[in-house]
Amino acid sequence: MAEMIQLSVFRYDPEKGGKPFMQAYEVPVSGPGMKLLDALNYIKWQLDGTLTYRRSCGEGVCGSDGLNINGINGLACITPIAGLKQPIHVRPLPSMEVIRDLVVDMDHFFDQYRQIQPWLQAVTPMPEHERLQSPAQRAELDGQYECILCGCCTTACPSWWWNGDRFLGPATLLQANRWIVDSRDEAMGDRLDQLEDAFRLYRCHQIMNCMEACPKELNPTAAIDNIKRKILARKS
Amino acid sequence: MRLVKEPGSARSGFKDWYLQRLSAVVLAVLLPMPFVVLILVYAGVVDQFGLLDIVDNFVSRLLHTILITALIIHAYMGLKVMIEDYVAAIGWRVTLIGSMLVVMSGFGIWWMAIIWAWGG
Repeated sequence: MAEMIQLSVFRYDPEKGGKPFMQAYEVPVSGPGMKLLDALNYIKWQLDGTLTYRRSCGEGVCGSDGLNINGINGLACITPIAGLKQPIHVRPLPSMEVIRDLVVDMDHFFDQYRQIQPWLQAVTPMPEHERLQSPAQRAELDGQYECILCGCCTTACPSWWWNGDRFLGPATLLQANRWIVDSRDEAMGDRLDQLEDAFRLYRCHQIMNCMEACPKELNPTAAIDNIKRKILARKS
Repeated sequence: MRLVKEPGSARSGFKDWYLQRLSAVVLAVLLPMPFVVLILVYAGVVDQFGLLDIVDNFVSRLLHTILITALIIHAYMGLKVMIEDYVAAIGWRVTLIGSMLVVMSGFGIWWMAIIWAWGG
């Protein structure tokens, strides 16, 4: 008989009404290297078709399946079942409105992302071929561009829980820094103008949950500190 | 797509952040000094007249003034951040921060008066 794993999954269906609850499931281990997403897929396809969650690439690239797993935010598709304490408590990302089961409303998160104007802005004429970067300039983007906007860091941030309506949160600020450090972008001044705000930027109290939560092992706290240093430099 | 009426940056926050760190550095340098004086008093190295000489000295008064100023600024900035974090209602925020500013300023003025009036 296959080894079984126990899961306790957050369930909520607003159409049915009632309070959210945790539902227990038992899933067979499909093999070595089994990920949490495999267990959720098993539940969805074999046990309970009503379970709702987001997923897409299944390999930690799309950022769709950000979840709270045993109290820690992470991506279900790259979280191995082995090593997780059972029953595995699977909840939606914290501090977000639940649409259904494990699906949260990401509108506000992406609104905040749009506020930093996440595209290259330059006033110099477009070169004949492309805007070149030296290897060193390109290296500045390492640790910045890899963010997949899964929301694990932002929803792990207590400052965002308290003031998420105004604090942009670690993911958005990491993305802002990605453009600030990009040698091809010419809008650093405007970007810093837009970030210099007691709530938008300075709500970061360096709690560093973001760093712990990031499934891509990025460091949003360092990115936020870099933005603060840039503002300090232009004022000093 | 939900559209957000976003007010943009208030161009604030840097000064608070900077003053909090600057005052922390001043505190790190000056705050141990009164404790050193206290230890010297309790160890019997400095007697009452020696202590009065230290307190009465112009440089001591100046350092004392800088210390109290830094202490008040640091405490104000720290508590302001906490109120902004935990008090959601703008009316309460403004009232609490304003009250704190008045109380702390009063405390600072009172303390400065003692420092500079001492031995007058």
